[in-house]
Amino acid sequence: MQISSKRLWSVLTTLAVALCALVVAAPALPKSSANTTVVIWTDHDRNAAVTKVAGDWASSRGVTVKVVEKTFGDIRDNLKTVAAADAPDVIVGAHDWTGELAANGLVVPLFPKKATLTQFPSYTLAAFSYGTAVKKLYGAPVAVENIGLVVNTKLAKVPTTFSQLESEALKFKNKKKGNLAIAVQQGANGDAYHMYPFFSGLGGYIFGKNSAGNLDPSDIGVANKVFLKNASLIDKWNKEGLINAKVDSTTAQNAFLKGQAAFWVTGPWNIDTIKKQGISFKVVQVPAVKQASVPFLGVQGFMVTKYAAEHGNDAAAKDLVASYMMTPAAQQILAAANNRYPANVQAGNKVSDPYLAQFGKAAKGGVPMPNIPQMNSVWQDLGSAWVKSTKGAGATKAAVAFRTAARNIAAKIG
Amino acid sequence: MTATSAPTQPVDRLAFKPGRVAQAIAFFSGTTGLVVKITLLALMSALAAWAAWVLADNGKWIAFVVLVASTGLILYLYLAPRSWTLPAKFLIPGTVFLLAFQVAPIIYTVSVAFTNYSTGHILSKPDAIDTIKVNSLEPPPNGRQYTMAPARDENGNLVLILRDDESGRYFVGTEEGAKPLPASDVTAESGGPITAAKGYTLVQGSELFALDKQLSSYTVPTVGDSAVRPQGIDTAVELRPTLRYVQRRDAFVRISDGTAFPDNGKGSFESAAGDELEPGWKTGVGFANFKRIFTDPTIRDPFVRVFVWTFVYATLTVLTTFTMGLFLAITLDKKGMRFQRTYRAILVIPWAIPAFLSILAWQGLLNDEFGVVNRILHLSIPWLFDPNWAKVSIILVSFWLGFPYFFLVSLGALQSIPGELIEAARVDGGGAWAVFRRVTLPLLLVAVSPLLVASFAFNFNNFSNIYLLTGGGPAQENSSIAGSTDILISYTYKLAIATGKGSDYGLACAVSVIIFFIVALIAGVGFWRSGALRMAQ
Repeated sequence: MQISSKRLWSVLTTLAVALCALVVAAPALPKSSANTTVVIWTDHDRNAAVTKVAGDWASSRGVTVKVVEKTFGDIRDNLKTVAAADAPDVIVGAHDWTGELAANGLVVPLFPKKATLTQFPSYTLAAFSYGTAVKKLYGAPVAVENIGLVVNTKLAKVPTTFSQLESEALKFKNKKKGNLAIAVQQGANGDAYHMYPFFSGLGGYIFGKNSAGNLDPSDIGVANKVFLKNASLIDKWNKEGLINAKVDSTTAQNAFLKGQAAFWVTGPWNIDTIKKQGISFKVVQVPAVKQASVPFLGVQGFMVTKYAAEHGNDAAAKDLVASYMMTPAAQQILAAANNRYPANVQAGNKVSDPYLAQFGKAAKGGVPMPNIPQMNSVWQDLGSAWVKSTKGAGATKAAVAFRTAARNIAAKIG
Repeated sequence: MTATSAPTQPVDRLAFKPGRVAQAIAFFSGTTGLVVKITLLALMSALAAWAAWVLADNGKWIAFVVLVASTGLILYLYLAPRSWTLPAKFLIPGTVFLLAFQVAPIIYTVSVAFTNYSTGHILSKPDAIDTIKVNSLEPPPNGRQYTMAPARDENGNLVLILRDDESGRYFVGTEEGAKPLPASDVTAESGGPITAAKGYTLVQGSELFALDKQLSSYTVPTVGDSAVRPQGIDTAVELRPTLRYVQRRDAFVRISDGTAFPDNGKGSFESAAGDELEPGWKTGVGFANFKRIFTDPTIRDPFVRVFVWTFVYATLTVLTTFTMGLFLAITLDKKGMRFQRTYRAILVIPWAIPAFLSILAWQGLLNDEFGVVNRILHLSIPWLFDPNWAKVSIILVSFWLGFPYFFLVSLGALQSIPGELIEAARVDGGGAWAVFRRVTLPLLLVAVSPLLVASFAFNFNNFSNIYLLTGGGPAQENSSIAGSTDILISYTYKLAIATGKGSDYGLACAVSVIIFFIVALIAGVGFWRSGALRMAQ
């Protein structure tokens, strides 16, 4: 008798506690709210700026925003797997995600007004455009970034031609043991992004364009005729030590900051580091090797996800991204958040940081990183070709290394 | 050996262990036990109720039924006064965790291996069809853009007040079409937003956002297929579809030239000319991924080489770390040694530092021109740039990271070997080496050999060591995907993210399944052998 009443009490208590827990938890359950709440995924660097701009927008429109911070790369990866209920309406992203996200059907096309579009350099819009037949705009560009040649003006003259750069750099390198000629980061796995100015200067390109003007993944220019003709210059640079694959990002940065390198190929993300060191410097485009040595251009911006429509936030999200965030005022705040040059021309004219402006100039003629998903197959092999041909003693001939890379990339794209 | 070791151990234990167990049982048998039980069950029920609510909310009815049934079963087993439920009470917690953390991921991985889950094949088919429809909209030649203000007419129907951005003329748009509106009826800032329209009430603020679904699907037909569609809250654009979905044929048709894009059975709408519409959808593809692993030369060719290196890497890592760990353990096991604790603490340091940090530090140390190792030793070894030296570096770093583990394990195992045995062997005239070979090592292996097998399986899949130190590089002269230090798991990762159009999870899961069988086979044989070892004792 005693035992069975104990059982009964056990059952009742269990159920009672569970019920209480449920009552407490119930309000926290996801449910559709009457108020429009736009969810934005952003990275840490831009969190404050996004919160401010989106907050201003929200209060002027009478809606609310929820800013969720994620690691930059996670924004792209998590969007693929997130459940619709937790999915964002708006994301911050890099332009080279466009192809993959659009091919997955996760972002929706935007149609900003013509008057707005004319405030943007065409490459920033092209960078966010994707389509196998007709291209559409999938993102609002906000900030642009590119690498340039950072020159320590106390240690070397700012070169205007490549031969000047070559002789200045080698002269500096031979002055003292431990000095680097050009500090450009590679490391054992290579870095095709930082090597791109040299690649383009020798006539290399990644993907050609088809008749419709879209990137054509079957036309791979990693070992095109012009480039192969000039490739012997890489062998020369390797022999004289102008470029050294063994320099990785840490080595390059330390060498420049310690005055062991007069030239550093890097981007605006290092402006503050150089300033802190008290180095007087100037940023220019890498002088033309055989052709203009243009850098890759990266454009960052905002995109509207397919989930916005499911959440009933389509109009709000499009209003925020395609209209509000493209205004000069918003662009200035968003680009300044992580020290980048704004995409909007009017906002760009207001940039006062001289170094940021110099990086802007170094972008001239630059090529947006290909935004088609096939680019995933390129990075590793292109980087490896540079490493193989510039690793000092025992290096592969550049023509051979790049031809191998081109063949591998073609095989991977299939 | 058995005869002597068997009686010694229980003598040790009898002193205190059963007492503690008995105490614990007694402690948890009374009211305390009941309270703990009720609390845990209540927490579980609450969690289950919450999960059930969410599942029901999302219409996942199969999962809902499974959840409710299993929760009910667990409650019954723990609360019903039946003696036959007693074994189940002990088995259930372990079984639940096994299912949740081992079996469920395996089932998921295997199920993905038979799909085309990859870039462009993420959505479900109905979602893909909707997305293709939306993506096919484009502005017609000379398409117009409008400044828009959603409003209600006198009957309360939603209409759009529109101003052509080029001509500045006003219209009122309905689902039937656009009618001109005299400019005198509309108040607007010049070139700016429309603020009022005679005969209409503008919809603004939260009311407007609440209409989102109605507004985003609102169309004001113009010429032909074209229609004015709202974009945001104050802009509307004239767009027309370029593709039409034909339900009956389950195909898209390009409106301009009638090209059909039927379902190709592989998760895409594809024309006869081979053009695929994006996005596609996730669907089953049978053994296609497995077939690709064995037939596609870019994947197949490096597979054997990578497999051999994986095996060599895991074997060497286990052997070197175990040998060194055991050596150090024996050295430091000497009784009465001074600073013994300090030595032990120092030796455990490599294990205590997070591997993510120490591997990156090693990467810097091993840089062959600027790294400390070559500079101090006056060497010029291409540690990370030469395929063979990179392999040496990998083993070296794994050795550094791994030996403290076996040091600790061996130290523990050594201390559990009764001193009398070694003493007896000594008295019988065994030299140090003979005693180690014939007494210490066999007894030690009883305890350590399962750990050796586990360590092998762990290193077989030790992604972070490879990925952080060399990234699988340096590149092979001719291989496209696998670098010279890639092991199967890092190679799989590269297959998943760096081929074709980017991510190919289906293919990567198929490789994972194959790796699973390889590891299961090796571990199975290993455990069977070590089990045999124990039987022999």
